[in-house]
Amino acid sequence: MDALAQVCEDIARVGSKLKKIERLAAYLRPLHDDDLLLAVQFLSAGPAAQSGINQTLFATEEKTSLSVGRTVIREALQAATGWDREILRLCFSETGDSGETAGLLMRGISAEAPMTLRQAEQLYGQLGLAHTSARKRELLTQIYRRYQPLTIKYFIKIITRGLRIGLMERMVEEAVALACHVPAASVREANNRLGDLPKVALAARHGELASIETRLFHPMDFMLAKPLERLEDLARPADWFIEDKYDGIRSQVHFDRGQVRIFSRGMEEITQAFPEIAAAWKKIPGKGIVDGELLAWRDNRALNFNVLQQRIARKRVRATLIQEVPVIFMGYDALLHNDALLLGMGLQARRQALESILENAPPLLQVSQQRGAATLEDVDRLFLESRGRGNEGLLLKRKDSLYEPGKRTGAWQKLKRPFGTLDVVITAAEQGHGRRAIYFSDYTFAVRTPNGFANVGKAYSGLTNGEIKELTKILRSASTEKFGRVILVKPEAVLEVAFDGVQKSPRHKSGFALRFPRILRWRKDKRADQADDLARVEALYNSSVV
Amino acid sequence: MTILITVCLHPIFRACNLQVQFTEDGIHLPDIGLWLDNTQPCEATWLSHAHSDHARGCHTQVIGTSATLRMYRMRLSVSENQEAPKMFPLNFGESMPWNGAMLTAYPASHILGAAQLLIEFAGTRLVYTGDIKLRPPLAGDTTEVIACDRLIIESTFGLPIYKLLTREAAAQRIIRFAQECLDEGQTPAFTGYPLGRGQEIVHVLANAGFRTAVHGAIAKFIPVYEDYGYRFPGWEPYEAKATAGKALVVVPDHGRVLESSGKNIRRAYVSGWAALDNARLRGVAEDLIPYSDHADFDELLELVERSGASHVDVVHGYTAPFAHILRSRGISASAPQHASDRTNIEAEG
Repeated sequence: MDALAQVCEDIARVGSKLKKIERLAAYLRPLHDDDLLLAVQFLSAGPAAQSGINQTLFATEEKTSLSVGRTVIREALQAATGWDREILRLCFSETGDSGETAGLLMRGISAEAPMTLRQAEQLYGQLGLAHTSARKRELLTQIYRRYQPLTIKYFIKIITRGLRIGLMERMVEEAVALACHVPAASVREANNRLGDLPKVALAARHGELASIETRLFHPMDFMLAKPLERLEDLARPADWFIEDKYDGIRSQVHFDRGQVRIFSRGMEEITQAFPEIAAAWKKIPGKGIVDGELLAWRDNRALNFNVLQQRIARKRVRATLIQEVPVIFMGYDALLHNDALLLGMGLQARRQALESILENAPPLLQVSQQRGAATLEDVDRLFLESRGRGNEGLLLKRKDSLYEPGKRTGAWQKLKRPFGTLDVVITAAEQGHGRRAIYFSDYTFAVRTPNGFANVGKAYSGLTNGEIKELTKILRSASTEKFGRVILVKPEAVLEVAFDGVQKSPRHKSGFALRFPRILRWRKDKRADQADDLARVEALYNSSVV
Repeated sequence: MTILITVCLHPIFRACNLQVQFTEDGIHLPDIGLWLDNTQPCEATWLSHAHSDHARGCHTQVIGTSATLRMYRMRLSVSENQEAPKMFPLNFGESMPWNGAMLTAYPASHILGAAQLLIEFAGTRLVYTGDIKLRPPLAGDTTEVIACDRLIIESTFGLPIYKLLTREAAAQRIIRFAQECLDEGQTPAFTGYPLGRGQEIVHVLANAGFRTAVHGAIAKFIPVYEDYGYRFPGWEPYEAKATAGKALVVVPDHGRVLESSGKNIRRAYVSGWAALDNARLRGVAEDLIPYSDHADFDELLELVERSGASHVDVVHGYTAPFAHILRSRGISASAPQHASDRTNIEAEG
């Protein structure tokens, strides 16, 4: 682990991609098989998740797979260093990185004992199995005190899943290939099939890449779509299959003659929450893996995501709830059918397999409708029709696209024009993380009410670095109060935000929250009294409730 | 000329019989009619060092070391109807009386000529460090710690995350980066501020035998360093057209120009801020060499403790947190309201 930390630090220091790959390969090459597995695992996927522990369907940024959040990391550091909460808060906010802060503050304090990769794995295991945060804190305090500061830095970065050394998974694949003397393409291809880079690395070393097979009941990464910012950017509309973009739970079904498991995008099994869907799949002959989406469904159309939400988070489902919130599975793609792996085949061929799998299927299992378009006008019309059916927009999939697990290549695109835009006023700002740690880059914003302002959401993306820098200065001078990383500011700066919907929210005083808000532009030309008001938000909400 | 001063009356400490007022423009000692590093033109000020953020106003009377005064003069532009400032040189170890007080200058090692000022008045000793570094610098004088009753200190790096390299380690890293780049047929570029860091880096490179090309803004002050005994063998003026085979030392803005020029250039950022990984993005540099002409956290603590001061005022950088840390160690400390807090994220360091 000490050597892994050192190589990460070296990789951060060199700019050239090729050199980063070479350094990583040089580190991986002499490792024993067990260590190779662990090193690649830590670099590509983080510590192995302890199954079933505190995992939620939608992992939040704060929680990691070990359920070791920033608070535990900070409190343990408080115990290990003696620095008080306020000083630590400031240190964290200056670096913007938990691991880095821990490493910096433990210099000269820790016992500097060596840590092997095997020990690191055991420590992660202990942290994952510790059931209370008090126990986790205690363990982490011991770890801080015992090991080398640089190792601590990366030990924590691996937990928080952000190495921030300019190393993408693609580059880890290339380093594995270089270390094992095989072509990079064969490693990538095998990783696509298996979605488990550590195992791929081992196979690459032993010349067994060709025999890597997709295994049923082990979830594979989902292929993702790139947002299409402007419809006009779409070249040759005729090259694409077009489907409605639904707002449900993307899922992967593995089935084998009566055995069924359904996985969410977080790789978590959600079979129990949807017993009627599982029952329907049990009737499907043969075996396979199908990519699709769970949707709350009534009268031939998908219901709002808010409705489906009632079905998540439940281990056992009452029959009445199944009636109240009827759910279907909308099939998108087939990845495996009987013994044929379909990832490397074109979409048309996969689509045929999907249709044959779901031929004569119970009505709860459907196949998403695929349309074609000759011109951009056609696409635009399809978009409006999809919105008319209450869906988010369109998914465009190139007819020849392969299924690339975990990738967002642009072979699939999503068109999601915003539901609406509002001019809002910034009321609070928070320092960002990583490269934005030195700026106020996350903004809480509000609309006007008869007696002031009421918050309706928070957004952090959309402004240029230059704008963030400029806005940081202005917000600093407009700040009225400071709580750690957050400042409250006089409501002055106006932003135009786009969003995908309005929902009720008990968290905000306004009673509403915007869904997926993002900043379109900073309206320097507008004053706070020219921002939109709560009545407009309410009207938007009422218009969207089906 | 009217001088508008917002005076924040600070509690007067029993440990010191000299009244100290912290204002937006600088520190005022009304009992002896003297300012410390006033950024606005005033009657009489002590100039701790010649950085342009304060060595700029056209004051009536200025006290500083000869080196500081010389560089202040280089920066100063006096208009025709203005009278040039009257300058009082006060070199290391020298004392001079001033309105009933005795002033003595000591090295602060921050940049060439940088000095601390000891003010003895009515039986008490006040020390104003100015910008200070405790460990020996790459090029410059070594600081002395002066025993005092009250200490006014900066805290640019007043958080425990800031531990910086010694000059030996920094020199080694600078040389290693330059050698690595040149060995691979690339051009190393170091960015440094025009006065201080710039000359320190040139000093390391030139004395290690590298062909060192120096940006004009930095080169301008090299003759001053030379007059004080520092040698920069074979340095040459930087020319954009002929960079191959040389190590470049340029100002930060020019580093950006170089990067975008598409030339075969790799950048290293030598700064205290390079102690944090996010400096890689802030400085857009490949290698981070955490070395500064300011004291790091441990040095600041050591300075305070060795001074024996019974009260400490923290006036620049992480003022409130550093004062808080001192208090938690049983040292009376405060962060005066008008002290410049670290609000400017591009602060020099």
